[in-house]
Amino acid sequence: MSQDTQVSFEAVGDSESGDGGVEHGALLSRLCEAIFEEDGDQLASVKDDVIEVAGAEVLIDAVAVSANFYMMTRIADSTGTPLDAGTVEPSAEIRELVGVNTFTSRREAQV
Amino acid sequence: MAAYSTELPIRADLDEAHTEVAARWATTGSWWSGVERLAIVEEVRRARDSAELAPWEAPSQIEGLVSSDHVLPEAAVDAIWRITSHPGTLTAEWHASILGSGIHPEAYVELVAVVAQANAVDRFADALNLDRVELPTPSASEPPKISETPLQVTSHWVPTAKIKGPNVLKALSAVPFENESLSLLSSAQYVRFGDLLSDLVSDQNSLSRMQVEVIAARTSKLNECFY
Repeated sequence: MSQDTQVSFEAVGDSESGDGGVEHGALLSRLCEAIFEEDGDQLASVKDDVIEVAGAEVLIDAVAVSANFYMMTRIADSTGTPLDAGTVEPSAEIRELVGVNTFTSRREAQV
Repeated sequence: MAAYSTELPIRADLDEAHTEVAARWATTGSWWSGVERLAIVEEVRRARDSAELAPWEAPSQIEGLVSSDHVLPEAAVDAIWRITSHPGTLTAEWHASILGSGIHPEAYVELVAVVAQANAVDRFADALNLDRVELPTPSASEPPKISETPLQVTSHWVPTAKIKGPNVLKALSAVPFENESLSLLSSAQYVRFGDLLSDLVSDQNSLSRMQVEVIAARTSKLNECFY
């Protein structure tokens, strides 16, 4: 994938807003939602869709990435990890777009 | 021995990483014994498999949920359940209350690390309908319970060492063994650690880096993680 590919943050906000320029973005977002909800039927259905559209390797790698962020989020939120100072300004628009500014876990960068 | 018995095409390096992390859980830590570290993993599993408690409900306050001869202090069990089920609700005051119950600040960091790893490994298995990783026999030795490196409370709630890198990688720096486990798991499940910031475009196994970041960001948002 080239660096000048155009992407947006639709698939991060929810799975119904489109792919955001990322191949299978909405489907992968739907997979994340099903893993989070832990509804067996919903998860089975999305996994079948991922295998059909992208293959079993993609399903496994996508589940692995999502599962990894059950670790990273718990580390960040259990240790009071603040935003990195250099990311505050560049990420301001993104944070507004994806709607995370109201989270309890919001902690400003220590400058 | 493989972590998973399945016909799904799980990459060998991913299977090996989960096997190795389970072995590390059973190892004597800096602040918790192997028996205690495995008890932490088992509590993560109990929290995941039980009817979810509200954030303000502590398992130690619910009759019959935590046995009186549990190998872990009640405050540790309460922290494990809360971190597992409601990470987005944690506050500095809550953290202070856990330390106020007698958990050493660095023991808390080690506990967070094991809880977080167990959440990642088990969530992977559960989502793919695999048997969870089998827990090994724990080491018998006692933890040294001494700081391994000079630490200060600066940017985080927890004490950290002076290391370079993103704040989330600094979070566990009080217990270097756990930062190694984090690197091991993240390299297999997310992005090879050397490529994290230096290579933003190469594919990661069967996924493009863009796909990886959509999954990472969507999952973080679902978990209400601001970072």
